[in-house]
Amino acid sequence: MADLILDVRHLHKAFGALAATDDLNLGVERGEVHALIGPNGAGKTTLIAQLAGELTPDDGTVTFDGRDITALPVHQRPHLGLARSFQITSVLMDFTSLDNVAMAVQARAGHSFRFWRRARAERALRVPAMDYLDRVGLGARAHVRVSALAHGERRQLELAMALALEPRLLLLDEPMAGMGPEETQRMVQVLKALKGEITMLLVEHDMDAVFALADRLTVLVYGKAIATGTPDAIRANPDVRRAYLGEEGGA
Amino acid sequence: MADHSHRMGAITRKTAVLAFGFVLLAALPGIAHLMDEPFLVSTFSRVLIYAMAAVSLDLILGYGGMVSFGHAAFFGVGAYVVGILAHHAAEGTTVLGLAGTNLAVVSWAAAVLVSAGVAAVIGALSLRTDGVHFIMITLAFAQMLFFLFVSLEPYGGDDGLMMMGRNDLFGIDLSDDMTFYYLCFIALMAFLLLTRRLVDSRFGMVIRGCKQNERRMRALGFPVYRYKLTAFVIAGAGAGLAGALSANHTEFVSPDFLHWTMSGDIMIIVILGGIGTLYGPVVGAVVFLMLEEFLPLAFDSVGLEGLKEHWRFLFGPILILVVLFARRGLFGLLAGREARDG
Repeated sequence: MADLILDVRHLHKAFGALAATDDLNLGVERGEVHALIGPNGAGKTTLIAQLAGELTPDDGTVTFDGRDITALPVHQRPHLGLARSFQITSVLMDFTSLDNVAMAVQARAGHSFRFWRRARAERALRVPAMDYLDRVGLGARAHVRVSALAHGERRQLELAMALALEPRLLLLDEPMAGMGPEETQRMVQVLKALKGEITMLLVEHDMDAVFALADRLTVLVYGKAIATGTPDAIRANPDVRRAYLGEEGGA
Repeated sequence: MADHSHRMGAITRKTAVLAFGFVLLAALPGIAHLMDEPFLVSTFSRVLIYAMAAVSLDLILGYGGMVSFGHAAFFGVGAYVVGILAHHAAEGTTVLGLAGTNLAVVSWAAAVLVSAGVAAVIGALSLRTDGVHFIMITLAFAQMLFFLFVSLEPYGGDDGLMMMGRNDLFGIDLSDDMTFYYLCFIALMAFLLLTRRLVDSRFGMVIRGCKQNERRMRALGFPVYRYKLTAFVIAGAGAGLAGALSANHTEFVSPDFLHWTMSGDIMIIVILGGIGTLYGPVVGAVVFLMLEEFLPLAFDSVGLEGLKEHWRFLFGPILILVVLFARRGLFGLLAGREARDG
């Protein structure tokens, strides 16, 4: 049996009559980059929201590393090793890049009921935070307020924050959304460097990026996983071609 | 960039303004004496007390993003604890099995603890909501307490409760206005130091993060409710201490201390001075209470006696101008860009 870090079984989520997640099964193996693709409205973001805990499934189970986390509150998941990035950049706009990543480092460093020492003077928070910024290529912009960062830079910051949580599984919800070709290329390189170190579940529309990164793919259509396999197998799958890849002009 | 301005030793516009303000308040009794206006000392004791209540509100409003419209509840409860304990001390009776007291140390500690407890209950329920609901529910709780004290006949009900004098603080004569002023001054400075450290600590960074993006903070793994509730309780305790000082200042407590207009005044002081600046509320308290004191006199002296009672008629437009043109409040006008903390 494969070593699954994430095991999703018979997941259901309906909004009124619309089944956004429909008897969905998905297994992410430890160490792999697993891409989740599908046309708009396939239910990718709804699935991510359920994995991150923001939405509660109507039925089915989510097992993370052998533990049932279906009903676990959002804020407890990062502590198990499950971190996410957001499709629409979600960062702390009034803080600097370094503050943002230091906040993620702080989240992992036990409780924050510490009332006296200046957090911005704590090397234990700032030094690791700087490392993560360097890692995503944002080190030079550490002291810039996030509201003054370009869109692509905020996407990089989003990733640095997720990395700072030192996750064992990283949920990446369209990390390349809204990026130019060059920025996308850089992001692919950053993610490639993380491959093997962190297991990733990657939702992405950019097919070049997906095929450059993914070990396996799952294709989602109308809330159902219609196929899972290696990039080659998915490319060759006639159902997939009909349902998805064909529509976008092939990969 | 932003970090540089905080570097020790650098004299920035902000530190200059703070130093000037500190000296001004520290020297105020002397200045009042030179101006031959001794009543100013007592007026400014009130300014410092209101400033403390406003700083405590800024902690949750400006840093935690919690728009509490019931802050007078904690101020009033703190004042009533002092008033009620003094009342029982005078009568030689007990309350809930405890003897009354005139000892400041006991009475003020009780005021802080009870206010914090009330804040814990109100916060625990209110913080399950947000936005307009949070504003309305905090207002509703404060009004509930207001009507509770209105109906508490043993403690004077509507008419309030007189005290036989100020509390006894290690034998220091607090009835002397100058002594009392410096007590308020020290209390405010200590509270400012405490809150300054607090907002810059790990805890402070968490509540500031919650103000900016609560969803992100949750996704990072912070149980945001606990942190916000703790901040709410600390703010309630601070307002409670301000209330205890206020009861001593006026030697009188009444339900007006908890009225929603009092919550409004505290909030106006924060907005006027500068939300999320910590020191702004002190500036706001000075300006607000000075206008309250002198605008009526000004109307009087220019022959507009009819407007005397309606000084807010002119204050309203002033507040609107500040909100429109000074987004960091009056403190922002004085201290510039670095006035507001991120």
